[in-house]
Amino acid sequence: MNKSQKQNTMIETAGQRSDIYGFLSLIFRTEVTETLLRDIKERSLLSTLSDLGVNFDEDFLSKPEDALIEDLAVEYARLFLGPDKHISPHESVHHERDGGDWGVLWGKSTVEVKQFIETAGLKYKEKYSGMPDHISVELEFMQEAARYESKAWKEKKNEEAVYCLKMEKKFIEEHLLKWVPVFCDKVISDAELPFYREMAELTKSFMEFEKKEINKCISEGKKVKVTTC
Amino acid sequence: MSSLSRRNFMKLGMAGSALLASGEGLKSSALAGTMKLQMGGKDFSPKTGSERKAIPTACWSCVTRCAAMGFVEDGRLVKMESNPASIRTEGKMCSKGQSGLQDVYFPDRILYPMKRVGERGEGKWKRISWDNALAELGARMKKLRDDGHPEKFMFHYGRMKASSSKLIKSLFLKGYGTKTIGGHTSICEGGKWTAHELTWGGHYDNWDFDKTDFVLNFGSNVLECHTNHIPVSHRLIRAKVERGVRIVTFDVRLSNTAAKSDEWQPIKPGTDCAVILAMCNVVLNKGLYKGKGEAFMKFVRATDNHDASVADKIANLKKHCAKYTPAWASKISGVSASKIESLAVEYATAKSAVLVSYRGTAAHYNGNEAERACQMLASLTGNIDNPGGRCKAVGAGWEYPHLPKSSKAPVTKGLKVTAGHPDKGHPQHSAFPSHGMCQSVLKMIKSGHAGRPEIYMWYCYNPVYVNGENDENREIMKTIPYLVTSNIVYDESSKLADLILPDATYLERYDWEDMVDPNQIGEHYIRQALVKPLGESEDFGDTCIKLAEQMGFPLGVKSKKEFVQKSCDMTPGVKEAGGFAYMQKHGVWHPADKKPYYYRYKNVIPASATSKDGVIYDDSVGVYWNWKKTKAKSEAEAKKTGYTHTKNAAKGYVGQKIGNTVYEVFKPDKIPKTGYLELYSALMKEKGFNPLPTWMEAPEHKAMGSDDLILTTYKVAVHIHSRSSHRKWASELYHDNPGWINTKTAAARGISDGDRIKVKSRISEIETTARVTEKIVPGVIAISYHVGREESGRYGSGKKSPLGHDNDPDLKNMWWKTHGQHPNFIIPNTPDPVNGQQAWMDTVVKVTKA
Repeated sequence: MNKSQKQNTMIETAGQRSDIYGFLSLIFRTEVTETLLRDIKERSLLSTLSDLGVNFDEDFLSKPEDALIEDLAVEYARLFLGPDKHISPHESVHHERDGGDWGVLWGKSTVEVKQFIETAGLKYKEKYSGMPDHISVELEFMQEAARYESKAWKEKKNEEAVYCLKMEKKFIEEHLLKWVPVFCDKVISDAELPFYREMAELTKSFMEFEKKEINKCISEGKKVKVTTC
Repeated sequence: MSSLSRRNFMKLGMAGSALLASGEGLKSSALAGTMKLQMGGKDFSPKTGSERKAIPTACWSCVTRCAAMGFVEDGRLVKMESNPASIRTEGKMCSKGQSGLQDVYFPDRILYPMKRVGERGEGKWKRISWDNALAELGARMKKLRDDGHPEKFMFHYGRMKASSSKLIKSLFLKGYGTKTIGGHTSICEGGKWTAHELTWGGHYDNWDFDKTDFVLNFGSNVLECHTNHIPVSHRLIRAKVERGVRIVTFDVRLSNTAAKSDEWQPIKPGTDCAVILAMCNVVLNKGLYKGKGEAFMKFVRATDNHDASVADKIANLKKHCAKYTPAWASKISGVSASKIESLAVEYATAKSAVLVSYRGTAAHYNGNEAERACQMLASLTGNIDNPGGRCKAVGAGWEYPHLPKSSKAPVTKGLKVTAGHPDKGHPQHSAFPSHGMCQSVLKMIKSGHAGRPEIYMWYCYNPVYVNGENDENREIMKTIPYLVTSNIVYDESSKLADLILPDATYLERYDWEDMVDPNQIGEHYIRQALVKPLGESEDFGDTCIKLAEQMGFPLGVKSKKEFVQKSCDMTPGVKEAGGFAYMQKHGVWHPADKKPYYYRYKNVIPASATSKDGVIYDDSVGVYWNWKKTKAKSEAEAKKTGYTHTKNAAKGYVGQKIGNTVYEVFKPDKIPKTGYLELYSALMKEKGFNPLPTWMEAPEHKAMGSDDLILTTYKVAVHIHSRSSHRKWASELYHDNPGWINTKTAAARGISDGDRIKVKSRISEIETTARVTEKIVPGVIAISYHVGREESGRYGSGKKSPLGHDNDPDLKNMWWKTHGQHPNFIIPNTPDPVNGQQAWMDTVVKVTKA
């Protein structure tokens, strides 16, 4: 592969990673909407998901849209909102820390995530009423970071792209990997409908992929790094 | 769930992209704004939010001299960071660099010329004008020069590098005519450099951590305080964290480097040489030299015959190392024979491996031989000047304005007091003091053997404190007729001066810099003033320019800034990039298309070079050399005297004939070795030493009693050797230095942790506190440098300096009351007999409960 091809690979890889994070963020952000459901069903996503081993049941494929959306909304609330025992989709609840500083909402992890995201120049929208370390926010942050990285590769700001990759690695290792796999296991175990179980499987699998992929990306990124003076 | 292959992942990404593009992805998202990643180089006021002025410059806390960035707000320097554009530091800076801004603002800083009015050391001073100060010093200096005795002006410096060195030494002191110039390298790492000059020519080795597969470290606290600290330490961390490179550290003490290594191998002080020789034995006996080591041996001299075959070289080394078995080294060092053997195998069989060594190995009586043994081990395994190995360092080359011919000194002379005693057998003698013998200068002055200076001036140096035998240093200095220094801090030596000139700090002056680049490319960088010199302080370079003008030999530049500006505008590469204007804006420059230097020894010298006018061949050593570049008066004389014994022959070196080809190989520097990497040194043999790297035990250690311990010293991460205790951040972090002593060693003496103890050597005694710990080998006491200051201002010593002010609010917040104990009072000034290095780590002491 010549230098230009390597550069293009970096652009594409970062872009694809950004889009996967974006897709997963959307899945956990709120209840499945009509549009999202149609997009999943209609935009050839199903076959891709199927290739990845994601298997929805017959209900998902054939049940009337309104009824399916209702079922998924009930499942979303049961799994992630309560009022009964549920799986809180927030890092500070699951990210085990020394000294017992975890297992609560708005804990140490929440503060760290908020600081991390804001230090990178992003802000929480005024109208966002959730907590800073919701799984959808963390995945959205990674979507933005990888998009930024892709743009940097495209503009041949290679030093900056590698720097961004290192920041992504830090976030993945210090946050996502510390709790998302555990969270997904709980969802896989408690889910009653296949949709969230399969999405949790996919997310967990993607985290495992990212754990290795991010180091590969950094290593490959350094090889195409153009030192400026 | 099937594993997510890269291919599937790409498909999912594409599908996800289409979904997100529908607009659904933007609904209800939580984050807004644009990501901004700032890789350093910017800073903002926490009070106003406005951006602070960022000025590229260079640190000068330690010799690493990292490219840096200073931030200025309302005319005050408020923060130091690294320059993110530097390829050496890659945007990293250590705590020493960050605390540097306190050099400017500490309350005990010398801000005005001061003249002594009381007895020496009494502490009575008056402030005088610069005009009066220069008139007094200039008149004394001029008289000596006019009388034909410029050598009676002695100049002794500590940290003085790059443009500062060129301006002061190559212009000012050259124009003045004195060659009585002392450096400090022998109390630092000069012995290691001499060993390099004896083996592969020039000094400085770069450890190629970015590409290495294994790190074998003897006595370097590389993560805390190496001579090229941040550029290499962050690369070592990266090698460890990102590539899992194995690090093994031999050290007397569990330094932070040892603690972060995969293995800490505790070792008795001064025995690294034995372990390294035993590793050579293993490599030779197991045939591990075969392959890249054997190939490299072509470029090595290892027998008395410079034309020997590789097989003969290997055979000779094998014979020489036969007695250095792992079992033999184990008895001496305390390291198990099996460990020596397994590590030798690991080092020799790694794809590439770095052999690291530093003062823990070199600052001993046998340091020269330990370093030569390192060169032997690296050579036998082919880990020399290769990617991932021990490489010849690359720095930046600068052009600079030279002394105008009209300012040439009428008389040039030097007192032979800077390189030890000439008589073999004298305690202050060494065979190859190629970096001087700083620690013996005052003894030489005391003896009067080689004459005595009338004026002794020191710069960025503290002769009383930084050498051994502090009490004697003080007394000898008092006997010198006139003492003068340029300094920022009132310290143990400046308190004895007759005149103190207020130096500008490194953050208030200009320089160009050239320190080693771990990329093997070379980075040019400059230092520029971040703020105006405080009070009446002035860069000593500017003072030299004024003094020269006053004495009638102008240096050709009106200021140090002009010297730096002209250098930038005349140095190839920097000049084309935009010269001084470019460097002021960016601070750093390197040639973007330059490839890293490796394997330079393989360069073939063309016939055109060996047939040039003046080039002759000395077949006794196989060297082509140009006699016209040496001190030989004629070709006939050059041929008769030969390459090795002609003065300045190394300057005429052209190439080494190996077989039928002439190679560049390893150019000599200060010592006229041949072009080979000389494991066999005919020069050493001439001086009565074994020509091959050899075990030598310190005489003091041979005579040790059962109750004796060895005193070793060390540096910590937050301090410079002797120039940082006035910095409040540094002293708040580290202000006490209890003696580390092993639990068993302490118990045998009835000593518990925290007890006051007496440490007595053959010359003196100190009292300190015991830190009883398992982090040090038995039989040793380790006391760090840096603290135990008698002066250096309130943060360092608790004492207010003359003319110090009280306007630093943190003086009220200073909570520490202890200032430690300096070990140098009890360390004798003892040289390595080969290279003159001060043997810091060999002092035999008795430790008792106070």
